[in-house]
Amino acid sequence: MKKPVIAIAGLTACSGCQLTFLNCEEELPEIAHRFIIDYFPLGLTERLITGPIDVAIVEGAVSTPSDLEILMKLRNCSRSLVALGTCSLWGGIAAMKNQESRKDLAETVYGAAADGLKTFNPQPFHRFVKIDFAITGCPPEKGEILATLAALLRGNFPVFPHYPVCSECRCRENLCLLIERNELCLGPLIQAGCNARCPAVGIGCEGCRGPVAEANVVADMELLLKKGFPRDEIVSRMQRFYPEWNYEQRS
Amino acid sequence: MSSVLEISPLTRVEGHGRINVLFSGTKVEKVSLSLYESPRFFEALLKGKGYAEVPEIICRICSLCSTVHRICSLIAIEKAFDLRVSEQVRLYRELILYGGHIQSHALHLFCLVLPDCFGVAGLSGLADKIPQELKRWLQIKAAGNLIQETVGGRTIHPVTLIPGGMGKPVNREGLLKLRDTLQRVLPETRQAYELFRSFLPNADKLATPLYVSVYPEGVSSFFGDNLTMGNGETIPADSYMDLLRERMPETGNAKTTLVKDQPATVGALARLNLGMPLTPMAAAAFEESRMLMTGADIRANNLAQAVELILAVERSLDIVDILIEADFTREEPAKIVPKKGRGSAAIEAPRGVLIHSYSFDGRGICMGADIVTPTAINHAAMEQDLLALATHMGGADDEGLTGALEQLVRAYDPCISCAVHMLRI
Repeated sequence: MKKPVIAIAGLTACSGCQLTFLNCEEELPEIAHRFIIDYFPLGLTERLITGPIDVAIVEGAVSTPSDLEILMKLRNCSRSLVALGTCSLWGGIAAMKNQESRKDLAETVYGAAADGLKTFNPQPFHRFVKIDFAITGCPPEKGEILATLAALLRGNFPVFPHYPVCSECRCRENLCLLIERNELCLGPLIQAGCNARCPAVGIGCEGCRGPVAEANVVADMELLLKKGFPRDEIVSRMQRFYPEWNYEQRS
Repeated sequence: MSSVLEISPLTRVEGHGRINVLFSGTKVEKVSLSLYESPRFFEALLKGKGYAEVPEIICRICSLCSTVHRICSLIAIEKAFDLRVSEQVRLYRELILYGGHIQSHALHLFCLVLPDCFGVAGLSGLADKIPQELKRWLQIKAAGNLIQETVGGRTIHPVTLIPGGMGKPVNREGLLKLRDTLQRVLPETRQAYELFRSFLPNADKLATPLYVSVYPEGVSSFFGDNLTMGNGETIPADSYMDLLRERMPETGNAKTTLVKDQPATVGALARLNLGMPLTPMAAAAFEESRMLMTGADIRANNLAQAVELILAVERSLDIVDILIEADFTREEPAKIVPKKGRGSAAIEAPRGVLIHSYSFDGRGICMGADIVTPTAINHAAMEQDLLALATHMGGADDEGLTGALEQLVRAYDPCISCAVHMLRI
């Protein structure tokens, strides 16, 4: 069988999704044999995107003209585009204050030099291009990256769970931090797939995987308010990785 | 006739960077290194957030060093609120910090630098050329990640580290597995050190760097409350602003950090030169190569990192033994009473001195944040070294020059994601 040609790149992000790929220490030599890695600036001396590429796997949000240029180039020469990680799918950590003035944020950090910055609100890929598949998470789960690569060798994409973190958390028989310890845990609203790793070590879900389909936002908000958390704190926590929650959504 | 050689993007480094070499005829006029990472305004994102959110947000600044950012942030917050953590928490933080150093150094040495040593473009080339060795080196990296995963609950952006305490401690089974894994890779770190000693460039020396590091206190090599320089002078970490001065260059927006008006160098090589306490095997390795590293330019940094790999594995083993012996149970985090004030902390990140400084109001809301990263400190020295090397190589072809300059930047192990911070609020 012909080896699939892949590209791995990062836009506005922390490189954590690409690092998760490099953290597959056990599997890396195998991956190197089964795929042709054509473009991967973090790990390969190749400066040009030439294509054709079978699958481009890209992390980060789009927040500069240069981000957009790289994303367009990769989209144009790739059969499939995989959005890797929460920033690419939901906007992520850098987008948490997208409702505030970008100019003010820039001036807070850069002062007068802010004028020269070419930057706009960090956006997920789907605002600009068609994406064929997505792996969520900040960072994504190693297992989901490997499952995706394995499926690619068979010419398709895997199916990931579409239920909330609570489902996995209950299966592990963890103490419920939200109900039993009155902690601000976002489990009911968030996409599973992490095997509830934070609640399993006694830390509330911070929502890093983005909203689960059919989240009952209204009911969860009511519950949290009833437990005494101030609305602005709840909103701040919910928006950490995704600034565009629909607070009217019932499921 | 002037011309420009542009090397963009820099490859096998974290983040987005570019080198421009400006020639007048064949003479090198100027070399600039731009870190054009997209700004994410972290200091502005933190403003208005409660103290408990700060470590969880700020660790996303960078994935390679998310653990050390998180710990530095915790210490700064705890200093602001005059809070002391328990011995258990202190030990776990130190252990995961070493895990982060092992992971980061191993990534840099075996995934980013090693292709240069074997004349290949990347991992695939290594997998073809030295398949068995690559697997063994990657096991060292995996051991660092196992520490981060076991102690932190997640390999990148660890979750258990919180202000005043931690989530669940590791159970006995987890600690025994850590001990086995670390014991297995310890001899491999020595082999890796010997490998990198054989790859030291045989080239003319660049300027001796002005090394800066956290002044090591006690056995915890990477923690301390003071900064120290090659001249023996030390200053308290919370008055870092007096030491690190920022200067606007003639062109561009990126401010340059200088120490006493000179470019400073931080990182593994600086730490070893400034007398960081070493564990037995690491001390023996350093002793054997002392001449290669004392007063050396940054190209010896890869070897220094290899020495630190030995150190971090040895010290992790010591701590794991203490933890097995102590058999800690889960404790409630210290009660936090926020108060108005400022807290600063310095710590050694894999690539050098990292400083976090926050001010809080009486409710514990973050009113201001300042993050000084090692790559931002090293920026001026990188440019100075690039110019010296490019000048020295005058007349070399573009390919040769590109390779040499890129390798020089790589030796600093830059982390560009977190380096784009320029102004204090």
